[in-house]
Amino acid sequence: MSVTRMIAIGGFVLAALLVVGVEWAARRWHRIPTLGDMAAVIMTHEAGRIPVGRIAVFGFWWWVGWHFLAR
Amino acid sequence: MDQPELAVPSAPAWSRPVVMMPIFTVASLLGGLLPSFSIEANLYIFALGSVMLWLGLSQRVPRRPPPRRLPRGLVWWLLPVGVFVFFELSTFAFGSTEEYPTLSLLADPVLDHYVPRALVYFGWLSGFWGLVRR
Repeated sequence: MSVTRMIAIGGFVLAALLVVGVEWAARRWHRIPTLGDMAAVIMTHEAGRIPVGRIAVFGFWWWVGWHFLAR
Repeated sequence: MDQPELAVPSAPAWSRPVVMMPIFTVASLLGGLLPSFSIEANLYIFALGSVMLWLGLSQRVPRRPPPRRLPRGLVWWLLPVGVFVFFELSTFAFGSTEEYPTLSLLADPVLDHYVPRALVYFGWLSGFWGLVRR
């Protein structure tokens, strides 16, 4: 395995660990919003009567599933 | 003196975890059978996403109230996002090769196996359901 590949894997693992760590801190101290709280606030945005925030968040999650599981 | 009772909408019975989790489990076990790049997998993801989108945009499932404002600690999220974006963009700029793999390239061989694939389906569906309830 090349060094660059190991660094890339390490970087993605680090990012995942940071997500877990920040989410854990958010649930423990409440000074940091949880991922769910941030998504909830984004989803409150509307343009007129169109829930653009909800559509955007659902669309993003839908794309994530398609990208990793179907394409 | 009697206090007036608050009318809290209760979740429909079908939306409770004891019902939804077995449904997600079966859907994940089925989804794990469908290989990437197949028409079946594309249709399956499209169908599942459509149902979730419909539930999420309708008023059929009660939602948790959102927080009024986010605390300043929000900036801590820039740390994992920054690390991820740095490595994803760097590897993408180098062509997403074996030596410079993007996350997708690393995930593909793992998701070729049934169990991790079914587990990712379950995580994706559970995450979608969590968003629908928000």
